[in-house]
Amino acid sequence: MLEAKNINFSYRRGVPVLQDINCKIDDGEFVALLGHNGSGKTTLTRLFMALDHPRSGQILVDGNDVVKMEPADLADKIGYVFQNPDLQILADTVFEEVAYGPRVKKLTEDSVKKQVDDALEAMELTDLSQSYPRLLSFGQKRRLGVASALALGPKTLILDEITNGQDQAEKVKMMEYLQALNEKQGVTIVLITHDMDVVRRYARRALVLTDGKQVFDGTPKDLFEGSYPVENWGLRRPLASVLAAAFQVSAGNCHEFCAAVTKEAK
Amino acid sequence: MKITAFSWIIITLAITAWVFILPVKAVATILVLQLVLLLYVKHNRMMLAAIGGLGVFTGMMVLLQMLFGSSLTVSLIGGLRMLVMTMAFLCMLSTTKIQDIAKTLVDRFHLPVEYAFMLTTALRFVPNFLEDSSVTLDAQSCRGYSNRANALQHLLSYVVVIRPLVMRAVAKSETLALSMELKGFGANTYKNMPREQFTLWDLLALLVVVVLSTYPFWAKYFQ
Repeated sequence: MLEAKNINFSYRRGVPVLQDINCKIDDGEFVALLGHNGSGKTTLTRLFMALDHPRSGQILVDGNDVVKMEPADLADKIGYVFQNPDLQILADTVFEEVAYGPRVKKLTEDSVKKQVDDALEAMELTDLSQSYPRLLSFGQKRRLGVASALALGPKTLILDEITNGQDQAEKVKMMEYLQALNEKQGVTIVLITHDMDVVRRYARRALVLTDGKQVFDGTPKDLFEGSYPVENWGLRRPLASVLAAAFQVSAGNCHEFCAAVTKEAK
Repeated sequence: MKITAFSWIIITLAITAWVFILPVKAVATILVLQLVLLLYVKHNRMMLAAIGGLGVFTGMMVLLQMLFGSSLTVSLIGGLRMLVMTMAFLCMLSTTKIQDIAKTLVDRFHLPVEYAFMLTTALRFVPNFLEDSSVTLDAQSCRGYSNRANALQHLLSYVVVIRPLVMRAVAKSETLALSMELKGFGANTYKNMPREQFTLWDLLALLVVVVLSTYPFWAKYFQ
């Protein structure tokens, strides 16, 4: 469980990045963190991971204040996947890269192998386990980042713009995997994204930040099909939601839209 | 008060000579003037960190000299000289645009354009390099690596980070080379820009350079 209580944060004095943020993410949720560039999304997740600490307020992970913790203390609770996959690569082979975390945590070599094999299999990277990570495609590097985070078996995954730069097939595969992880294994997913179609289709809750302030906390359906000024918040309504609103039906994706319209027509 | 890049380069080079020819008290005075200038130009956390970093590095050099048998006075004077020299470069970089330095090196010092560009690009990439290293260190700690334990572990964390950073720098340099070619980088790159005009401050600064650089001569003459 992640909780932010009255969070205020600034990198430089006098320039607030987050102002009075209050939110609680329970175990098993699938949350999309939305907002325009520079709205404070990444900063908020950095606070959850103890990469930065708030100027005032409290960040709680499983009820414990993270003020005196460092990211290493939270590594087996929260898996954090950064925006740029290139900067996360530390080893010479895909296997070694995923094994980095478990080895740092001093697991036995058998456990390391099992954890790594499971993570690679989940991300469909088993065939590439002996490849040089820097030669992988962008999408594969993204999957490698997720596999590396999964290798420590965290209860929560924070993914920073994971769908950026991926083709449609890779994106769908990644999102379906995350959905399965969330639904079958109860892993909490916090997804930072600018892809509203992904939000509408997969997320069950949306948190919107604008200029460091929290302006919305609810379901993606309410966000996109309600009367909120989403365009003013730097967001775009998904195409399915725009069409659904025009036809006065409710739909999260094109298939749902077609089904709803067909049903109405009948 | 605006001094051109040409004067700054001359002053910086002159200071590296002054630290050896001027008395220690004069070198210490230069250090104070440098600190005043730096804090006047920028008094933010980054500048304080840069000055602090140079201070720590100087301290290490002093200790190293003492370790190899130099006396405390000699080591401190050596440290002071090194600090003043490095601070001169910091002064130049914080008061002058990198493009102006490159242009002056090509225009007035007749340095080949490729070398001038190499020098300035190296400086321009330092902040990117620091930013990348910070993200990689963060990624490392997110995967369980704690550097809280001791200084050695902290140092080791950088060893792991060096390779990804070098690989990334090589990739970046390739992209930069390509984009430069596409933008028509060549011999006329800096020559088409307007020349900086000398002001009274430049003449004054260069006069001070001449006076202080000939100190051993006139000190002997007036004695």
